[in-house]
Amino acid sequence: MTYEHFAVLIVIVPLMSAFAVALLGWFKRWACYPLTLAALFVSFICSLGILNTVISKGTIHYHFGGWEPPWGIEYVVDYLNGFMLVMLSFIALVVAIYSKRSIEQEIPEKIVPYYSIFLLLVAGLIGITVTGDLFNVFVFLEIASLAAYALIAVGEDGAPMAAFNYVIMGTVGACFYYLGIGYVYIVTGSLNMADLSQLLPNLYHNKAVLVGFALFTVGIAVKMGLFPLHVWLPDSYTYAPSVTSAVIAPMFTKVMAYLMVRIFFTLFKPYFSIDLIPITQILTWVAAGGIIAGSILAIAQTDLKRMLAYSSIANIGYIVLGIGLANRMGLTGSLLHILNHAFMKGTLFLVAGGIMYKMGMRDITQFRGLHKKMPFTMGTFTIAALSMIGIPPTGGFFSKFYLVLGAIDARQWAFIVVLLISSLLNAVYFFRIIENAYLEPPVTAYATDGGTHEEIKRDELPLSMLIPTLILAAGVVLLGIFNERIIAFIIRFAVPASF
Amino acid sequence: MFEYIVSKYNYWVYIFLMMLGLYGMIGKKNLVKKLIGMNIFQVAIILFYISIGSKVGASIPILTAEDLHGSANPLHYMNPLPHVLMLTAIVVGIATTGVALGIIIMVYNRYKTLAEDEILEIRKKSGV
Amino acid sequence: MKVFALLTVIITGVMLVYGAEDFPKWGDPNQPGSVHVAPRYTQGTYIEAGTPNIVTSVVADYRGYDTMGETTVIFTAGMACILMLRKKKRGEGESNV
Repeated sequence: MTYEHFAVLIVIVPLMSAFAVALLGWFKRWACYPLTLAALFVSFICSLGILNTVISKGTIHYHFGGWEPPWGIEYVVDYLNGFMLVMLSFIALVVAIYSKRSIEQEIPEKIVPYYSIFLLLVAGLIGITVTGDLFNVFVFLEIASLAAYALIAVGEDGAPMAAFNYVIMGTVGACFYYLGIGYVYIVTGSLNMADLSQLLPNLYHNKAVLVGFALFTVGIAVKMGLFPLHVWLPDSYTYAPSVTSAVIAPMFTKVMAYLMVRIFFTLFKPYFSIDLIPITQILTWVAAGGIIAGSILAIAQTDLKRMLAYSSIANIGYIVLGIGLANRMGLTGSLLHILNHAFMKGTLFLVAGGIMYKMGMRDITQFRGLHKKMPFTMGTFTIAALSMIGIPPTGGFFSKFYLVLGAIDARQWAFIVVLLISSLLNAVYFFRIIENAYLEPPVTAYATDGGTHEEIKRDELPLSMLIPTLILAAGVVLLGIFNERIIAFIIRFAVPASF
Repeated sequence: MFEYIVSKYNYWVYIFLMMLGLYGMIGKKNLVKKLIGMNIFQVAIILFYISIGSKVGASIPILTAEDLHGSANPLHYMNPLPHVLMLTAIVVGIATTGVALGIIIMVYNRYKTLAEDEILEIRKKSGV
Repeated sequence: MKVFALLTVIITGVMLVYGAEDFPKWGDPNQPGSVHVAPRYTQGTYIEAGTPNIVTSVVADYRGYDTMGETTVIFTAGMACILMLRKKKRGEGESNV
């Protein structure tokens, strides 16, 4: 067996396990969880194998059915999607370990289909990342989207309505995307990304290509919840089951951000996206608006998950800002932030799920004294929050640092101001929670028996939930400490050479 | 000018249909009407792709007996690739519609109505 | 909302019409979409894939992986409906919808 088969196995193993979980689950419900873990573990090992192969032997090409690229479908893995794959499969694995107790509490009667769809979501997202064929991206995008709709819809009260809005917006996004494929196809006749990047330069002034590019951009922006098109995002993240938020928030929007980088700088040559049409400039301003608006709206929330959702919108702004700055430093910061934000948001949503599991509520004002009750959980929350604000040595500091460097390189001083303001706003809304949890006197003492101070008992999460949270939080710190190595060995090569 | 319009009339029709669908998705208040808009939207794109695949004077993409061994002239057969892509897209459209209808059933079970503004009112009253 | 919808529709429509300006004529046999990748399918279908039906050979062979994705989409939709709509069985008589 050669190494290039890893590129296929990483998708096929979770996909086939999804069928297996659905089948086996009708007979033995307990088997779903270990099977899911096993599949995601194999997937994670494959992703490590892929990254290792990419670093030692260069880009992996895998031709399905042996048909050479423009005719058949091709999987291409280079540095850019190599590191994305490791990140995706790792977070999926960690969240899956966490999921057991939370799902058993929130939707006990639906464990079997839940795990099946969970695996399909992961397979879909990984499939988008590895493929080198435009239409294949669409197919896997739909697998992932349908899975996401269903996973959100089974949440609490407002969830079905949130999921319906997501269906409508998501379909508009996906349809714009494949309409964009049509506009590119009609003037080139190819669907393969590598082939198209050879064909398209002669057609850069063709109006169909311009409109196709615009359609790609809008479609992906809808799917990733970029600021003016984010309306589906807050409700979906808020009402979804905890595990769903913890898997969709770090993974789905990041995959879409990856797709945007892929289309801007691989499918189209950088000089088209930057010089010929002002799309990157427009995107930077849109992103800056998103950063500010997301941060301000996050301050206004009292629901923890809704606050995190708005903070996601701000962070998608960071990523798109780095893409829009379109220079080496900016894009490095953007890719690093994809990685960092996935870990930070994963941690935060896992903590939110944990608080939901133990206390059954998400209202920030009721978090008083929580650090005595759940010291480790609040500790990880604090680490992730510090990273979101951007305090060294956590990962969040370094990605913001590179974004600032990118803004300096582009001589766009306004964006430095935006980044600083948003860091301050981040500090406001995270310290509010930390203050509530650590400094305010606990309310439960008054509530239970009229005034007598009662020592709060430690009531920590079960280990199967606590350990994944701790792993992700450790990841946040490690990403910060080893950021130079990650950039030197991987991200440096993921940025297009012409920058 | 007239020549130009006629030479691409398929594309104008698809754009018109698509805008109809898009308006339905954004402008209508009833969830099922939104869903119908979504279907029109998807069908319009299918029409667009099929239009790409057509060739004047060509026949369906099934080889005749004398063309089997590599002597086929591509001008005599429709372009098969858009048809293939649309087979996939049709299935995707159906699947999306199915999931959306499932969600609509959930919404109806919860609120006993499908009008968006009524649902919003109910949610405001219950404080969610 | 109505005005907003109308505005979106008009902007999108204008954009699409603008892009359609550079399309090849409808049904042009030599349009780029028909001469780059597709001729190989027409000529090779019987020799390489063993069926005279070109669409079949592309669906099931050249781009067979897309078709697997397509069936998975259907499976996802089915599982999604089970996940969303199946209710816990409470005693006998109640059907699970």
